[in-house]
Amino acid sequence: MDSPSTVAGMDPRARQAPAIEAEGLVKVYRGDVRAVDGIDVRVERGEFFGFLGPNGAGKTTTIRILTTLLRPTAGRARVLGIDVVAQPGQVRRRIGFAMQAVALENLATGRENLELIGRLHRVPGPDLRRRVDELLELMGLAAVADKLAGTYSGGMRRRLDLATALVHRPDVLFLDEPTEGLDPQSRAALWEELARINREGTTMLLTTHYLEEADRLCGRLAIIDGGRIAVSGAPVELKRAIGSDEVNLRLGAGGADDDLARQQDAIVGLLDGFEPLRGLERTADGVRLAVVDADRAVPELLRRLDGDGLHVRGLTIAQPSLDDVFLRHTGRRIRDEQADQPLVLGW
Amino acid sequence: MTAFARETWYLGRRTLRRFFRVPANPIGIVLFPLIQLFVFSQLFRDIVQLPGFAGQASYLAYLAPGQIAFTVFFAVSWSGGNLLADYRNGYLDKLRAAPIERYAILAGELVPLALECAFMGGAILVLSVLLGARVETGIPGAAGILLLGAGFGVAWSGMSMIPALVTKNEQATSTLSMLFFPVAFMSTAFVPAALMPDWLKALNTVNPISYVIEAMRALMTTGWDWGVLGAAVVAVGLLGLVLQGATLWAFRRLTS
Repeated sequence: MDSPSTVAGMDPRARQAPAIEAEGLVKVYRGDVRAVDGIDVRVERGEFFGFLGPNGAGKTTTIRILTTLLRPTAGRARVLGIDVVAQPGQVRRRIGFAMQAVALENLATGRENLELIGRLHRVPGPDLRRRVDELLELMGLAAVADKLAGTYSGGMRRRLDLATALVHRPDVLFLDEPTEGLDPQSRAALWEELARINREGTTMLLTTHYLEEADRLCGRLAIIDGGRIAVSGAPVELKRAIGSDEVNLRLGAGGADDDLARQQDAIVGLLDGFEPLRGLERTADGVRLAVVDADRAVPELLRRLDGDGLHVRGLTIAQPSLDDVFLRHTGRRIRDEQADQPLVLGW
Repeated sequence: MTAFARETWYLGRRTLRRFFRVPANPIGIVLFPLIQLFVFSQLFRDIVQLPGFAGQASYLAYLAPGQIAFTVFFAVSWSGGNLLADYRNGYLDKLRAAPIERYAILAGELVPLALECAFMGGAILVLSVLLGARVETGIPGAAGILLLGAGFGVAWSGMSMIPALVTKNEQATSTLSMLFFPVAFMSTAFVPAALMPDWLKALNTVNPISYVIEAMRALMTTGWDWGVLGAAVVAVGLLGLVLQGATLWAFRRLTS
């Protein structure tokens, strides 16, 4: 174990180093599975950064490398300027990690759970008591602080687990699917909590396959698929880069199918030369249009469609979602991916 | 206090907490050895009249050391379970992500295990004395008996730790540890080697538990026999070296 004096004598460059830097990270598991296949990422201090991708994309493997639990097959990674392979002890002292599976001591109280992890992180006694009380209060667990963690509800267990990752005031907090398995209320409450922790200065790196979670929390994110980063950037920019919104027109057919087809044909003709139009697709009850800046284009669109024999019964505009971004860059929808965990048999 | 000792202390306290908060555990470590002693002392009460027992007056005094080793043997047969549970529910990763000495995690299991073994041995000794047996070497000898019992327990726990860490499967772990139960039954826990068939006698020359039992028995019924004691210490040492060495290897493999 590295002695505390090395912390003080740390390379001054490390103080200004970014929170996370990884170059060419590769992890090949037994049996030639390339779980991570060349990941480069840089997260500045204070950022809320996300890895968005389906199950099996390599998110967990990457976060386990960054938190020193797994050695990369190739590439290097530094957290706060400290190499995760060369000085894992130094890294561990300054990060917190809330893993996908909530890991608590069920036969210990919430307070005892926090105290043990705090002591292992060498938080000094009086400071630890204060910190534990503060976290129990913050996570809404003060009332059940002296009850066994095994009796907690799912949401309470998540919050206690998160608190154990915060007890030593880490500079960087890693969260692997932090709201997996929570009901919508608990999820929303945890999101607020995470955003607050970030506002107070902790750098956050989160993995998720929930689009809304990535959208709501992350200032920047990387879309990860097949062990590689497909694209990265701020969610707003990524969505804007899709370039167009989706406009759905529902047509009222006068009864017969050929009437719907006739109207669809008419629309194709009427929109010929309509500048914001990027695409047109027939649907079961109308047409779907890809339109640049739909909010502004819709009045002109409706004017053009105000012709004889067209019965527009409804119109909806949808802004592109991160799912569209995912589709654009990977050719698949994130929701399609319901990869079952492979059954591991042995012995 | 070094970091290793301090972390072992905190993690050992966690192990004890986990143990004592399941009421069956503290009840079990008192009752299990006592029931064993009681049943076997009644079952074989008159066996000391057989010629091979060479003038043992009381089977209870003869049996108690064997019972201590036997009890310890079975008590540690599930000792890999805790680590396995930690591995499965992610707590082992949580500990690994903390800035601690990795082997303190293992030591935090083994130190309480040694205490548990010594405690159970103590329960048997106290009951035997209450029932009329004598420890010929007095208090120091009794301490020696408990120390040997604890040492043997920690060494033998590798038989459960290794399959647990290698297979990561509860059923495989208990099945594999069970394969070695005959080691205890074939030992000199209940009958002296003199009464055994030749092949069993031969096997007992390499059975570590028999060396431990013979040394405890000497402390209980005859006196300070340094040759027998030395043999037991060597047996426990070698056993510990092999089994705990392999445990360390398996732990390292699992956590890197």
